[in-house]
Amino acid sequence: MIETPTSHGSLLLIGVNHTTAPIEVRERLAISAARLADATRTLAHQPGIREAMILSTCNRVEFLIDAENAGDVLATHAPSFLPRFVHEYFSVAPSSLEPHLYTFREREAVRHLFRVASSLDSMVVGEPQILGQVKTSWNVAREVGAITSNERIASTLDPLLQRAFSVAKRVRSETQIGSSSVSIASVAVDLARKIFGSLTGKTVLIVGAGKMADLAARHLIQQGATTLLVSNRTEARAQKIADALRTPHITTGVIPLDHLHAEAHRADIIITSTGAGAEAGEHIFTRSQAAHLVQRRRNRPIFFVDIAVPRDVDPTVNKVEGCFVYDIDDLQQVAAQNQASRSKEAEAAETIVSSEVERYHQRRSAAPAVEAIKQLQLSAETLRQQELHRTAARLAAEPFSPAQQAAVDALTKSLTAKLLHPQLTLLRESSNTPKDE
Amino acid sequence: MSLLWLRVAVVLYGVAALAVLPAALYGRPRWRHLAVPIALLGAFFHFVSIAETFYAAHRALPVDTHETLSLLGLLLAAAFLILATRYKTVAFGIFLLPVIVLLTLAPAFHPGRETVAYPLVGPVWIFLHVALLLAAYAALLISLLASVLYFVQERSLKSKASSNQSKLRLPPLEVIDQIALKALLFGLPCMTAGLLIGSVLALETTGPAFFADPKVLLSIAMWFAYMLMIFIRQQSGLRGRRAAYLSSLAFIFVLAVWAANQLSAVHRFAAP
Repeated sequence: MIETPTSHGSLLLIGVNHTTAPIEVRERLAISAARLADATRTLAHQPGIREAMILSTCNRVEFLIDAENAGDVLATHAPSFLPRFVHEYFSVAPSSLEPHLYTFREREAVRHLFRVASSLDSMVVGEPQILGQVKTSWNVAREVGAITSNERIASTLDPLLQRAFSVAKRVRSETQIGSSSVSIASVAVDLARKIFGSLTGKTVLIVGAGKMADLAARHLIQQGATTLLVSNRTEARAQKIADALRTPHITTGVIPLDHLHAEAHRADIIITSTGAGAEAGEHIFTRSQAAHLVQRRRNRPIFFVDIAVPRDVDPTVNKVEGCFVYDIDDLQQVAAQNQASRSKEAEAAETIVSSEVERYHQRRSAAPAVEAIKQLQLSAETLRQQELHRTAARLAAEPFSPAQQAAVDALTKSLTAKLLHPQLTLLRESSNTPKDE
Repeated sequence: MSLLWLRVAVVLYGVAALAVLPAALYGRPRWRHLAVPIALLGAFFHFVSIAETFYAAHRALPVDTHETLSLLGLLLAAAFLILATRYKTVAFGIFLLPVIVLLTLAPAFHPGRETVAYPLVGPVWIFLHVALLLAAYAALLISLLASVLYFVQERSLKSKASSNQSKLRLPPLEVIDQIALKALLFGLPCMTAGLLIGSVLALETTGPAFFADPKVLLSIAMWFAYMLMIFIRQQSGLRGRRAAYLSSLAFIFVLAVWAANQLSAVHRFAAP
């Protein structure tokens, strides 16, 4: 027998995020991956909580709760269990949190969860990591029993989170919210992909040992680049970077600055960050040098990422066929355009979220009626079967022929359906349940 | 009935040509999922139409210009589908699908009434001659389109800010270059074998006089242009604008060979 809820709990979402709390507050509440299971279990064991999940990322800490006692929970601004939990677990005075906390209930809690999963509430709207983080929290909550994953016991949070994942997927597939990069390093990777397609097997040359160049190189390596060359005025520093990035799959090497132009043709992507060339009155890569590089590469394209100020690569290099030059302003401009494009897509995503919140609530409010309809149909069918068996037993001496049996079966089914019809119609109308549910 | 299937195919190609625009120009994935299956369905009806025509006429050869154009259209549709599946791009469809619609429009709504008497020798060889040359032309057209798209993508990347405002979804430069080169390398053996088969058949039926025909001379020139183009590309890694010019030059030869049908005294096949 499947257990069904006689009444719904109260859905609550309480938390802080990058818009309501400074990092000093968020870091005090942050829960590491190693402690997440324990924290979730502790929260779920608080009195009055039926199910719970904790989402802790660098930008937010949120508690999603299905509470048992709706009246008690809704009576106060912050539910009574929260100060106790916060105090016990984080050793933080609840009063210091109050100004930064937000609380969403029922429909608004659902909307917030859908927005978070769809990355509409993220600091960088459209970033893809948040969905994975929500899934991890969900898995942890299921593992520790804070969310019911048993099919025989009704759960509120489990179907809600699964719905949130579907909504996030719909937002990703129906809008372009995550299709463009908004950081300098990822814009550089995107541009490299537009030129080379897969970066597998590509060679990256870093000229200068700036942090930004190092970051961009790491991004390119993550995307498949397999060879990294480093050229720097101080060779020891170049060697240190090369050593730091060397792995069994990544080949690294150092090119002395004097041999840079003789060796640069080996690189598909050149990241420059010295800022020294222009100071000396000449760019590190001039137009004629770039043309020579392309010639040595038999016209294979070459991508210059110039993040130095003043610039290391002569801007006219971009006019050489096969050479693509992006300086820091170009990259920032692309990132800004992508950010604007994401904001536009976010409007379409908000519409999807609103319609999904509506659908979820319709289904949730119809759930008791659907269950009642199922129970009524089941009882009627049981009764019909019992009566058929009783009649068959009475007529054991002269049993029905198969044709008679089928006729009686059809007759009783029709009678049952007609008798139930007014009650089922009333139930459906009272809950706006579609006929197929 | 075969005409009906061809008309259905033309309509489907037309719908696919429209659906490919939002997919390629604005990156709308839903339209991509619509354009490719519709084009596939169009190609299926197109194939049924051609197969039915050949079966009904107890032959396996196009007998007039319209049938030849229709066969070329089917090869281009197959090329579009291969590119969409292998390289996940529908950008080629912006040009290819309207070309396919144009190639099949006349055969579908104004079928030719020419009856060409094929030489009695080797109908299978004649079929190979026609099919291989049509495949070579289709490959050359793909290569030309790829070179143009390379040029567009290169301009877009060089113009920086505007490149990212542009919504045109094109494959990466190196992928476009690979498509261009692979199409050429596929076309070369097709063209060589097609011309060789044609020459041997011509020697058997017409004799050495065949090689003085303007169409035949142009065909030989076309083959040299094709070879030269591949040689230059392979040697210097030529791509982009210059590769587009080179492909255009080879394509002009193809058009000239096609047009030379009107001047030819001995090449009586409706196919070019």
